[in-house]
Amino acid sequence: MKILEIKDVHAKIGEKEILKGLNLELEPGKVHAIMGPNGAGKSTLSKTIVGHYDVEVTEGDILYKGKSILNMEPEERALEGIFLSFQHPVEIPGVNNAYFLRTALNAKRKHEGKEELNAAEFLREMKKYLEMLGMKADMISRSLNEGFSGGEKKRNEILQMLMLEPEVIILDEIDSGLDIDALRAVSEGINMMKDGKRSFLVITHYSRILDYIKPDYIHVLKDGRIIKTAGPELVAQLEEEGYESIEEEA
Amino acid sequence: MKLLDLKQKTVEEAAALLGVDPKAAALERFAAIGLPTKKSEEYRYFQIEKFYEKEYRTLSYVPHPIEEAEKIVITDGMVTHAPKGMRIYYEQCQAMDMAHFDPMYYLGHLLSPHVIKIDLDGDADIEIEHRYTQSGALINYRIVLLNQANRHSTVFESFQAEDISDTLVLYGYDIFVAPDSTLRMVKNQNMHDNQYAMVASHRFKLDQRANAVIKSFDMGEDMGLQLIKAELDRYAHIDAGHLLYLNNEAQRGTVSKIIHRGEHATSHQEAKNILDGHSRGIFDALIKVEHTAKYTKAHQNSKAILLDEKAYMAAKPQLEIYIDELEASHGSTTGQLDPKQLFYLRSRGISEVEARKMLVIAFANTLIEQVKDHRHQEIIKKTFDEAFYRN
Repeated sequence: MKILEIKDVHAKIGEKEILKGLNLELEPGKVHAIMGPNGAGKSTLSKTIVGHYDVEVTEGDILYKGKSILNMEPEERALEGIFLSFQHPVEIPGVNNAYFLRTALNAKRKHEGKEELNAAEFLREMKKYLEMLGMKADMISRSLNEGFSGGEKKRNEILQMLMLEPEVIILDEIDSGLDIDALRAVSEGINMMKDGKRSFLVITHYSRILDYIKPDYIHVLKDGRIIKTAGPELVAQLEEEGYESIEEEA
Repeated sequence: MKLLDLKQKTVEEAAALLGVDPKAAALERFAAIGLPTKKSEEYRYFQIEKFYEKEYRTLSYVPHPIEEAEKIVITDGMVTHAPKGMRIYYEQCQAMDMAHFDPMYYLGHLLSPHVIKIDLDGDADIEIEHRYTQSGALINYRIVLLNQANRHSTVFESFQAEDISDTLVLYGYDIFVAPDSTLRMVKNQNMHDNQYAMVASHRFKLDQRANAVIKSFDMGEDMGLQLIKAELDRYAHIDAGHLLYLNNEAQRGTVSKIIHRGEHATSHQEAKNILDGHSRGIFDALIKVEHTAKYTKAHQNSKAILLDEKAYMAAKPQLEIYIDELEASHGSTTGQLDPKQLFYLRSRGISEVEARKMLVIAFANTLIEQVKDHRHQEIIKKTFDEAFYRN
């Protein structure tokens, strides 16, 4: 059974149709990379899956574990196990990072019928990951993403992913703004989550991130549709010849 | 008593109605300004006339024996509890402000047979709880508060109403902040269920190098207006912060005049307003810098978040300046919760209600966390929670 099935989805932002009959299936335990030129609809695809308010789905359906999620609120999708690592995580002054993450984690635990964690238990849990991600301890007491560098914001996204343990993980341009050390730390966090069941959707312009997170499938997204799906060998062709060379599969 | 009966009355007629000496100075001022109407500048956004037609029961203000308690409790305008050794007296007001802008300041004095005078000894840290137990009543009382030079005092005000309705409270302070002293006033009020409405008219007089920190936290529903006049002598400083979190049909806020009289005085005034439902928030604040107030620093700012399209914020920060040698600024913004921030929180599994609350609290926290005492901060946060989850 596929974990996520996107079936002939048409979606628009404002009056402009961005996704034009997109089909995609994610297999459990696999890493799917979406590559495509600017304006192809990559970020719209991630927004559509998580229920962003900008996007209106006009046709088609998205099934998560066989169940349609189009009528689900963003928080319901998250509680069910869908996670988006944002390309540009928003800054929220006044919301403490640790408080935010504990609220999110406890919402998830409550949804799963588990006991909520108290502050001490939560901090113990979180500290395990801070060092691994190379995050300074004071980042947990600061306001959420406020004044964080690009690298710190991305590490914070990965920290949330590690704590929330989602089942479908969408990484939207996770490598943008990262230096080589940050990229290594972030990739290590992501690879740690691979357990043979979770699926990853890695959205990227460039192949650099795929040196660290090995994909099982490459999907080329162009003009709102997946025009080609192949194995990792497609990356080399794209690097060499660019997106123009890719012909739509019949 | 019906307040409408006081409209457009001569001094003699008003004296007869109020049962006071026609020569009372407050009466002359009250008659000269007149009962406020919707055309009065200070009451433009507050429907004061709503209370004029109602017939209110008046109370008799006979001093009770004061029971010993950890805090001062003022029940229906009379002190009923106080800490041991606290110096509290009933007396005629000796130092009324004869140039207050608010007619209700004078009406409050005229209706109160005496003021409650509280002397703050040393570095006092006291709580005043205002309790209201009477329905359909006009409860009026005035408090005179004095601290000592070189001392640092804190007054935390809270409000409790029993199962009452349709009461109007007119109360207020005359506060004298001594030279080189600090007085912190923290007001925490959560009104709801049409229990009582309030017009609180205050006067602050800051002596040389005095420091006043006034933080008010007004939450919930109903109608309430605080009117503040503050005068600053040389090197005095006032830091005023006002948080409004309103819902349903609430109409509440602050009208203030901060007057810089002495050189080198500084003022900082900040309003944070969160408005839900059909509520109306008011921040009508003037900072006046007189000819004598060279080297003033004055800053004021109002920020509002509207959680409902029917909510309305009347924000009017103003500067009136008569000198060149100063530093001053003012500003006002009104907007909604940031949808990107809201979505980010929801995308992590946090419910919309909780996410909105987190953002609203984040906005309010910048003021709440300015309260020095963490116990008070916790009480205010709890009050905020109660007001938030009631809707």
